[in-house]
Amino acid sequence: MLLTLDLNDPRPLHEQVAGTIRRAIADGSYAPGDRLPPARDLADALGINANTVLRALRELRDEGLLEFRRGRGVSVLSRPDARAVLAEAARELLAEADRYGYGPEEVIHIIRELS
Amino acid sequence: MILRGRAALALAWGAFVTVVMVGVPLVLRDRLPDPLATHWNGAGVPNGHMTFTVNLVSALLLWGVGWGVLLVLALRGPALSTRLGRAGWCGFLFGWSVLAVGVQASTLHANLDVADWRQAALPAWQVVTVVVAAVAAGVLAGVLGRGGPDPRHDPAALPTMRLRPGQRAVWVSRATNHWLAGLSLAALAGALATGVLAATGVMSGEVVWINVAVLATVALVGAGTCSVRVRVDAEGLRVGFGALGRPARHTPVAGIESAWVETRSPAEVGGWGVRGLPGAGRVTFMLRGGECLVVRRVTGGEFAVSVDDARNGAALLNAYVAETVGS
Repeated sequence: MLLTLDLNDPRPLHEQVAGTIRRAIADGSYAPGDRLPPARDLADALGINANTVLRALRELRDEGLLEFRRGRGVSVLSRPDARAVLAEAARELLAEADRYGYGPEEVIHIIRELS
Repeated sequence: MILRGRAALALAWGAFVTVVMVGVPLVLRDRLPDPLATHWNGAGVPNGHMTFTVNLVSALLLWGVGWGVLLVLALRGPALSTRLGRAGWCGFLFGWSVLAVGVQASTLHANLDVADWRQAALPAWQVVTVVVAAVAAGVLAGVLGRGGPDPRHDPAALPTMRLRPGQRAVWVSRATNHWLAGLSLAALAGALATGVLAATGVMSGEVVWINVAVLATVALVGAGTCSVRVRVDAEGLRVGFGALGRPARHTPVAGIESAWVETRSPAEVGGWGVRGLPGAGRVTFMLRGGECLVVRRVTGGEFAVSVDDARNGAALLNAYVAETVGS
């Protein structure tokens, strides 16, 4: 599972972790029924607290993306809906635009030009 | 097609060897004693014998098993897909046939025109000659039949991804062999049950404790090898073995040239577990057939591990490698 955290992202860490896991499920790296790596492994790799990862996993469970099963760990239940995935991609686009000094209005303008 | 070529070669050459191995003894049968001397001590004095038919059948079986294995390998493909595999296959085909024919020929020569098997002497130089000839034939055939070098991976075709400044990117994955996990659990349960029975005196004796020790060892070894955890981060690649992820093997980014995904099967790499030839620089940690993350070191060696979602891991590794090279 590929996970990315943006150190400049003002959002709380657990939201970012949920976002990156959502994306891994959305791009098909993990299909419904697949088991996720243990939360501790994810936390160790990211260098964050395991509770933060668990909080993110619980959020995704509440969204209906993940399933917690005793003894079997966490597995994927369903793909996220398109809107949630697009929102995540848009958030990254805005963050990138911000690095180049562009505000949301200017990004909307660019999108209008393209469509 | 090269595969067809090698299978046809094995079939034709093998048939020829078989005809020689059956035909020559039959032609010489009138000049041989029955039984034949078939085993000699170090001084070349016969100390074992077989009837003509048993000797013929056992020699054919010895040759036939090797021939059959090679034919199956040629038809089932993957063993011949690498240069090393082809060299080994060709070497074995010719080396084994020379050995089989040589053993038969020296046996017949020793027995030729003697009245009784006890008079059949086998000079040591003949044994040495047969072994040396077999090895030489194998090496020569291996060199001649190895074919072209393995294709290098095109750097442009390697998976990669974009790393952004201020971003922390990691990849975590694993693979588990559920059969092995189940086996070690069963062994653990068996060890516990036997241990309790022995401790409470229901069962007694040394054998019971040996049983416990064997089952516990199976459980321990199984737990240590039934799964693998792989992590890629800015530090490099980390492969942890077993349920606990220990021991682990770490390869820094600076030591990695490139990474990619290959589909490998246990049949291809020679089974499950840590597979590879020492010195050949190709090691595979095989837990289950399918996607493998393959890493090429700057020193030239290759390390592969069967793991889920390997494409993302290879992409991230290549991205980190490119970053190190660029800076």
